Amino acid sequence: MPVLKEMIDVITMKSDRPVRRLVGYYLIVALVVAVLAYFFPIQIARIAAKGLGDVPEGPTVLTDALSSSPTASVSFGPGSLFDVALTTVMILIGALVLILPVTWVYMSARPSGGQHNQNVVQTLIFLPIVVAGIVFIVQNSLALAFSLAGVVGAVRFRTTLRDSRDLVYVFLSIVVGFSAGVQSLAVGAVISIFFNFVLILTWHYDYGRNMLMPTASAQWSRPLQALASPTGDHQIPDRDLILSLTPANAAALADRFSRVQKAVGSKKKKPRFDAILTVTTDKVPEAQVQIEEVLEAMTKRWSLDEIVTNTGKPSEIYYLTRLKKSVPRDLLLTAIHENAEGLIASADIETGAVEEDDKGKKDKTDGVKA
Amino acid sequence: MTSRRWLVLLLCAMPFVAACDDTPKARAAELQKLAAARKDSLARRIAAAAATPDKAIPLAMWIMPPLLREISGLALTSRGTVLTHDDNSGRVSEIDPKTGILVKSFSLLGNQKEDFEAITIAGNEIYLLASDGKLFKFREGADGQQVSFMMFDTGLGKLCEFESLAYQADSTRLLMACKRSLGESAPKDLIIYRLPLPLKRESITAIQVPLHDVIGSNLWKNFRPSDMTIDPFTKNIVIIASHEKGLVVLTPDGDVVRSEPLPGDHQQAEGVAITNDSLLVISDEANVKPAAITLYKWRPQ
Repeated sequence: MPVLKEMIDVITMKSDRPVRRLVGYYLIVALVVAVLAYFFPIQIARIAAKGLGDVPEGPTVLTDALSSSPTASVSFGPGSLFDVALTTVMILIGALVLILPVTWVYMSARPSGGQHNQNVVQTLIFLPIVVAGIVFIVQNSLALAFSLAGVVGAVRFRTTLRDSRDLVYVFLSIVVGFSAGVQSLAVGAVISIFFNFVLILTWHYDYGRNMLMPTASAQWSRPLQALASPTGDHQIPDRDLILSLTPANAAALADRFSRVQKAVGSKKKKPRFDAILTVTTDKVPEAQVQIEEVLEAMTKRWSLDEIVTNTGKPSEIYYLTRLKKSVPRDLLLTAIHENAEGLIASADIETGAVEEDDKGKKDKTDGVKA
Repeated sequence: MTSRRWLVLLLCAMPFVAACDDTPKARAAELQKLAAARKDSLARRIAAAAATPDKAIPLAMWIMPPLLREISGLALTSRGTVLTHDDNSGRVSEIDPKTGILVKSFSLLGNQKEDFEAITIAGNEIYLLASDGKLFKFREGADGQQVSFMMFDTGLGKLCEFESLAYQADSTRLLMACKRSLGESAPKDLIIYRLPLPLKRESITAIQVPLHDVIGSNLWKNFRPSDMTIDPFTKNIVIIASHEKGLVVLTPDGDVVRSEPLPGDHQQAEGVAITNDSLLVISDEANVKPAAITLYKWRPQ
């Protein structure tokens, strides 16, 4: 494995970007396959596309059903012992070569803070090998297929997976195993390569986050709003808090609330901040300079809250801001995009509850006037 | 650094490993050696069979590879090999029946899927018959090649289901025996359609052989041909029936010469051919037993 890592490093110029490293790996595999195909064209064709049914094989020695003498046994050709052994080894290695990058993608492309399941990783490695073996044995034999279905059914795969996406990896693992088993590794290769890149890109762009739904932070804020209800009718009674919090938890929360209070400002004054600006970028320092220029010019006040550095996908910068009434949210976003053009991947502003309340009051007033 | 050395060593060793691999030349030499050994073995078995002429002893039985598990018709080539095909695909394979070597396979352009039932050779052209009476005409292809073809619908599919096809060189006619008549009032007799070449619907004629003549002294209730061929010695028509496990020999005019049970034990005999050196070749589709072709000594009379 160190050799492989070194070779990938050479090809990707030590880049730590997953897409580049994946491309590097597949280039190495393609090179090795090309070399092997040059020296062993028949064997490679047999495992890469035999299942598709159009690979000429040259003369094939048929099994003699009458003769029991060893001379009549098949000494070479697709049915020979050597060929069966060689083909089996090659399809198993092929399955392993195809599934390795899938496990890397599985381990890397986790949601922020999510941990991969080591059992799943190992299953992904073992499953195609076993499936390939099963399919290779079962091929064209209905009787064997039923027998093996019975045997495999007896030791069912019943692990409950934590993340439903893990199941997709398991399915891919089965696909790779099948493709190896039916000696059509080319199909398995295309599917797994495509799968890997789609998955990496989906993870990279955080695809699937529903823009119409409240953000994670907004969902978190709901219980807090209930806790700090401005009307005083606390929806969460103190007795519940007393039972649910330990002294350590209560102290930590109190500490956190005091920090939040400092940021929010003192009572009877308007909140210090009413919006969160989230920017994703690959070039944090450069983007920061450009964004802060705009914030300085177009907001009442701002404060850098946090920078979350990611590997393989853009880092995130969070700013607390107080928007000017004369500067609408969209105008600010446009200005940020223009000033930091080419430096940022995305920018978004979430307005807080205070602003929404103000807006609600204003709408009410307008209604009275009308 | 050590790992790099291993990698370099591996790359250097690769050509030597490849050199040890069986080259096409070495494979061909080994193939010839095996073919010679099998021919010797067959000659010994033929001699042994000649000593007991009343017994139908199999001289050879070659187990088919997976792609021919639904082997159907057989047709003898001028080289002494037989062409055969899978029931569901237009993939034709050439087998040397004396050595049990699958020489090559080629297929119809676009990997045609039909219910192919029989094959025959007429001069330079090969005909594949589908069960609905369609004939596919094409030339022999090289190993792995896809060959272009012409399809001719005989129109007989409305009358019969077909499984057998043979070429009568003397009269340049294709023969197609009806396996099952589709009309309710259709006769139960054995009907053989004759299609003079070049194919034209209007020139198709038929001969009808009374069923009781075909059955003769056998206990069959019917006779549903699964393949037929022409005896190269007598020019008689030899028909086999899988269901009845029977063999019938007719003169070119349709008179029954003999009808008898098939030699050996055949689960599903789908193809028949007779070689110029008196070998009866019968192909069996996989059915309990694996697909195979079996050789017997052919006795024309």
